[in-house]
Amino acid sequence: MKLRATHVLYAAALLGFVLLPQLITVKYYLHLSVLALVWVIAAQGQNLIQGYTGYVSIVQAGFMGIGAYSTTLMGIHFALPVWLTILLAPCVTALFALAAGYPSLRVKGHYFAIVTLAFNLVIFIVLMHATDLTQGEAGISGIPKPGREDGWFDFANRQVYYYFVLVIAVIMTGLAALIVRSRIGQTLIAIRQNETLVGAIGIAAWKYKLFAFVAAAMYAGLAGALYAHYQSFINPEIFGLAQSLDAILAVIIGGSGTILGPVIGAFVVVFLPEYLRFADSFRLILYGLLLVLATIFMPRGIVGVVGQLWARITGKAAS
Amino acid sequence: MTRHMKFTTLTAMLALAGGAVTAADKTLDIGVSDALTGGAAVYGLPQANAVQMAAEEINAAGGIKVGEDTYMLNVIAYDDKANPTEATNAVRKLIDRDGVKFILGFCCSGATGAVASFIANEDAVMLVGNAAERSITTREISNLVRTRPPADYTGAAAGTFVAQKGHKKVAVLGALDVGFYASYVDAFETELKKTGGEIITRESFGLKDRDMSPQLTKIRELQPDAILVVGYVEPAAFIYRQAIELGIDVPRYGFTSGSEEQFLRVATSEQMEGVWDLRPTELTLLSASDNGIAYHANYSEKFGIAPSPSSPYAYDQTYALKHALEAAGTVEDTAAVAAALREMPIPAEVVMQYLPVDGKMFDVNGQAYTSNGAFQWQSGNWVFVQDLPSDAAAYSAFLSTID
Repeated sequence: MKLRATHVLYAAALLGFVLLPQLITVKYYLHLSVLALVWVIAAQGQNLIQGYTGYVSIVQAGFMGIGAYSTTLMGIHFALPVWLTILLAPCVTALFALAAGYPSLRVKGHYFAIVTLAFNLVIFIVLMHATDLTQGEAGISGIPKPGREDGWFDFANRQVYYYFVLVIAVIMTGLAALIVRSRIGQTLIAIRQNETLVGAIGIAAWKYKLFAFVAAAMYAGLAGALYAHYQSFINPEIFGLAQSLDAILAVIIGGSGTILGPVIGAFVVVFLPEYLRFADSFRLILYGLLLVLATIFMPRGIVGVVGQLWARITGKAAS
Repeated sequence: MTRHMKFTTLTAMLALAGGAVTAADKTLDIGVSDALTGGAAVYGLPQANAVQMAAEEINAAGGIKVGEDTYMLNVIAYDDKANPTEATNAVRKLIDRDGVKFILGFCCSGATGAVASFIANEDAVMLVGNAAERSITTREISNLVRTRPPADYTGAAAGTFVAQKGHKKVAVLGALDVGFYASYVDAFETELKKTGGEIITRESFGLKDRDMSPQLTKIRELQPDAILVVGYVEPAAFIYRQAIELGIDVPRYGFTSGSEEQFLRVATSEQMEGVWDLRPTELTLLSASDNGIAYHANYSEKFGIAPSPSSPYAYDQTYALKHALEAAGTVEDTAAVAAALREMPIPAEVVMQYLPVDGKMFDVNGQAYTSNGAFQWQSGNWVFVQDLPSDAAAYSAFLSTID
């Protein structure tokens, strides 16, 4: 295999992520990095349905909520080990996504977005009102970390949890890349470009769309499970519409339909609001303004801008 | 000695003296995590202001004497928007980056619960204010105390009061999604039932809802003896207003803790006339102690707006922390400070009317209790009418039985 510049870039990025905890002197930034890696997983899923298939889904945070609550409740009620509940959480989320996706994907464009938005609202309301199960707005606390106290790794240590989430984020990013390169991924891209044509050549587009939707939900479910065990606390507030919009923004800002884009975008949506705390009550106005400007002037996201710059430097067309 | 030499020597001595003062005065950073923006800012922002004001008062009075050192307080406040993730980020930032060991504020239960879930593992002390969810002080977190009593402590007292008024059929309209409002109503219902009363309907609204006509129309058809409104100030004010507009002519009870100014942004004084607020005996000018009157005046002058009734929970946190630091004799050993908080009597400077348990401000769970009061809107003001039955010791014992 020929070594390309992008491979070198990926290797450098990975090395950077591995070394990051050693370079960070303030643990607060390590905490934000863990959250950002969780969002990398959620955003990679969002990218499958939004970036590659061309369907904007506004339910990613809702699916994170299903993943977070399912891992927590399975642990509480069935005394299952944390490892197992983390693995089962995406499967539970997939069941909900199947049930929601089958009717939702009968509609296209804005209508699909509205249906998924409504589904996020339904998830939020159920999490809020099913207090016997979810404890409502008060939330569930004391969610255990993976592993045992006398185990090899202390997952209560943020650095250990960072590497744990990093490994999973890398695997899930790699899996997303494999999906995109596969025949399925190429079909998803074809659907984004011309769904009518895909149907005309005899491909059942709905099956591929449903696959992308369920896969995106599984990514979100996994992200939600990792979030729950990291924070040790969940309540419905964390899985509302605003967070689903963050997942969409992560994809748009990073670079929709690229593998690296959601990684960059996830770090932006986690770190940028924190860095803007100096602006006090103007923080969210500034955040919103920056996002509007970025969307207008960088429609292909940060990856797109960097690609164009690289093309100018090397004199080659941006891929 | 020439005049010039005398002047030089005097200047040098003053400089040395000044330097000595500067060297002895140290700065202690204290953090605030609270809702400074968004819907919950009606509670969070006044709390942050109250901490700032208390810190300035303490500094002006000479600071906090800890051993040989005197500390001046510096407040670092971050907005958590009452969101659990934001609150976690804000507190992580305070502890990890700013090196803060004492964190105050916390108006809202969801955000507070998130921080409470990890604070036991941190080298820090958490002082919770207005957040009323009961479970915050049932987790046996040794480095957490709370100045506001849980909602069901007040709900039970409110239920007894309404039952004593002879009401048998009470309609509830509340932000029942929110755990502590629901627990207030549950405790209210338990006491109401003891006298043969009942809650005939529980209608819910979202914290961002403003038109409650559908729920009120349904309630009107049920012909209740009274209605009970539990929720944030603004939606509650809309309910009181719309109840009058719909011709509902029954006593209106509530649990909101809003100031006169906050209610008058939405409803007129005529529409509010006769409304009851059954809540902890929080700051209301007509019922306030000397401390309360001074607090109200100073806050109003400093911030150009009247303080919200619940804001002194945060003001009192600051003075509780001051006394705990002085008693512990350290600003580094957070376990000692946390222990001192649990051992301290009620400080003289506090605004709220706390009921001591075993002579201490905080019980073994880290929970403080105020008396509960019945306040009524009369001619533009909340007027303290009477105390509600409040047994802090019994509730404290009950709290200790909850896992």
